[in-house]
Amino acid sequence: MNVEQTTLPKKFHDAVLHWQRHHFPDYDLLPKYWEKYFPNEPEFCLCAKMEIGMGDTIEVGDRKGQPRMLKPAEMGEDAAGHLLAIIRAQASTEFGSIQQHEGTLARAQDDEDRFWVLRVMAEELRHGYQMFHMLTSQDWSSVSSQKAEEMVEEILSMRTGSHVLDAFNLDYDSFVDNVVFAAVIDRVGKYQLSMQRVCSYKPFAQSMPPMLREEAFHLAAGVIPLRRWVQRAAQGNELVTVSAIQKSFHKWFPRGLEMFGHEKGGESNVRFGFKNMKNAEAQSQYYDECRKMIADLNQRYVRARSPKLSPEQAETLVSRVLQDGTRDGVAREDLLELPDPRFFRRKGEPAWTLIGTRGEAFETVDGYLEHLKAQLPEAYLASRDMSLYIGTLREVVAGTLAPEQASKRMPSLKRVGGVCPCSKSVRWIVEEPGEAATPTPPAPDRVVPGAV
Amino acid sequence: MYSQAVSATPGQVRIRTLSELDISGIVAIDERLTGVYRPDVWERRVGYYIRRDADACPVAEADGKVVGFMFSDVRGGEFGLEETSGWIERFGVDPDYQGRSIGRRLFEAVVAHLKERGASVMRTIVDQKDEELASFLRAVGFRNAPLTALELPMSGASDGAAGAGKPGAASRPTGQKP
Repeated sequence: MNVEQTTLPKKFHDAVLHWQRHHFPDYDLLPKYWEKYFPNEPEFCLCAKMEIGMGDTIEVGDRKGQPRMLKPAEMGEDAAGHLLAIIRAQASTEFGSIQQHEGTLARAQDDEDRFWVLRVMAEELRHGYQMFHMLTSQDWSSVSSQKAEEMVEEILSMRTGSHVLDAFNLDYDSFVDNVVFAAVIDRVGKYQLSMQRVCSYKPFAQSMPPMLREEAFHLAAGVIPLRRWVQRAAQGNELVTVSAIQKSFHKWFPRGLEMFGHEKGGESNVRFGFKNMKNAEAQSQYYDECRKMIADLNQRYVRARSPKLSPEQAETLVSRVLQDGTRDGVAREDLLELPDPRFFRRKGEPAWTLIGTRGEAFETVDGYLEHLKAQLPEAYLASRDMSLYIGTLREVVAGTLAPEQASKRMPSLKRVGGVCPCSKSVRWIVEEPGEAATPTPPAPDRVVPGAV
Repeated sequence: MYSQAVSATPGQVRIRTLSELDISGIVAIDERLTGVYRPDVWERRVGYYIRRDADACPVAEADGKVVGFMFSDVRGGEFGLEETSGWIERFGVDPDYQGRSIGRRLFEAVVAHLKERGASVMRTIVDQKDEELASFLRAVGFRNAPLTALELPMSGASDGAAGAGKPGAASRPTGQKP
C-alpha cells in the first residue's frame, strides 16, 4: 500500500479544526494517551490519503474499459451531479457520527473501549476531511452552483437531526449505542467504501483503500466489546445486559438496511461505474454478515455459560434454543437475534409495514406500538424521532399519507445552524484577507437514494 | 489488497484479509490444535492486528469457514535492525485442512503484501524444539539468521498474556502440519 498524504488549504483545514473544537473536544485526549492504548502504532494524521498505484481503467458500468476520469467535467452532468451528492452525503455521515459518539463517549465503563471509540471518531474526522478534499480540490461548478466554501460550510453546519441519512440523525442513549453503532452502521460504511473502490472517478476510488483499512478497526471496536459484554452477561456479572444490546440492535439495524438505498435502486451507481453492486445485492450480503456476527456473539455467550461445550455443541444449543425455547438453562431471551429485515422500516420496499422483530404482522398501529415499546431502548422511545415516526405511521395506515411521501418526510428534525456556536457572526470557514466568498444559507436536506 | 486479487480456487479455499468476524474461526482452530479455549487472547490479538494492518494478516476460508490464518506486520528499527522487516508472529491451519498447502498460500499472500509495504526481509523467531515449524519455514525459504534470541526469566513476574505470543515470535499451536 502506497499512500500520498495531502493537507487541505489552510482555511478548510482550520474550519475542520474549528468544528472539532466545538463538536469533538475529546479529540485532544487522543495524542496524550495514544502510546498507552495504541503502542508503537503510527500516530494519527488529520489529512487526506490517496492510494497510489490503483488501476487507470474503469471496471464496471457504461464506460467499462475506458480510462478512469480525473475531473468532474469529464463525467458528464448526470454522473457528476450524482457523484457530488454521494460525496456530500458521505461527508455528512462522517461528521454526523462524531456528533453522535461524543454525546455518550465519556460514559464508557472501560477505558480501553472508550479510547477505541475515540480513535474511531478521529478517523471519522479524517474521512470527513477526505471528502472535503474531494469537494475542494476540483471544480464542481458544472453541476453545482455552490462554491467549495459553501459546500463545506453547509456540511459543517449540520447537526444530529439535520444530516442527510437517518442513521446519523438519532442521538445515542448510552455507550451501548456507541458500540452497536460501530458494529452495525460502520459495517454499512465498509460495504459502501468497498463498492466505491471501483469508482470510475479516480480521486474518489483512490480515497477508498485508506478509509477501508481504518474502517476495519471501527468494526472491531464494535464487535470485540460486544463479545466481552455477552461473555460477562453469561457469567452473571454484567452491567450491560443482553436485552440492552438486543434493543440497541433493534434501533440501529433497520437504519443500517436503509442506508443501502431502496431495494430496487442502485442501477445508476453501477451504470456510472461508481459502485459494483446494486442496492439489493449489497444489502443482502450485509444482512448475511450481520447474521454471522450475531451467531458469533451467541456462541460466545453459550460457551461462557457452559465452557465444556465444544464449538459444535454450542452451535447446536443456540439453534435449538432459538427454535424451541429454553434448553440447558439458556432461554431465547438470553441470546441475540437479528430482527426481520422488514421490522421498523421507514424507507425502502417494506417501509411503513407493521412487521415485528420476528416477522410477525400486526393489525393496528397501537398493537405495533406496544411491540415497539417492548423491543426498543426505553430512552429512544421518548425521543422526538419516535414520536415523529409513530405520527407518520398513523397517517400512512389511515390512508391520509402515501408511503412514498412519508418516507420523504424522514428525517425532518431540522436543526441546521449556519453559524459557529461560539459567535453569531463567525462561520466555520474564516476567509483569508482578500477573499470575498460569502456562504449562502444552507440548502435544504436532500435525501440521496443509495448514497452514503 | 490481495483479498481482491486472490479469489476462490478449484480447491475451494480462498485467501482474504482478516476481519473482526474471523475471531470465532481462529479461536476454533486454536482450540482444535491445543485443546484450550481462549477467546479473550484472540480478541486481543485480532484487535491489535486489524488496527495495525489487516491486509498483512490473511485468512484461508473454505465454505464460509476460516481454516487457516497468518498474522504478520511490518516493523523497522527494532533490535538495531534498521531495514524495513516483515515479521510473522502467529499462524495456524485447521487439522482437517492440513496438507493442502494452505500454510504456503498464506505465506505467499503475506510476502506479496509486505513487499508492497517496503519490507526487504522477512523475519521470525521459532521455538528450537518445534522442528516441524522450522521445517515449514525452511521449505518456504527461511534461512538461519545471524542473530540469537536471548531471554532472562524474571522471578515473580507474571506470564502476562499467556499464549498471545511475543512480538515477532512466530508460534503456532502444537501438533499441526502447516
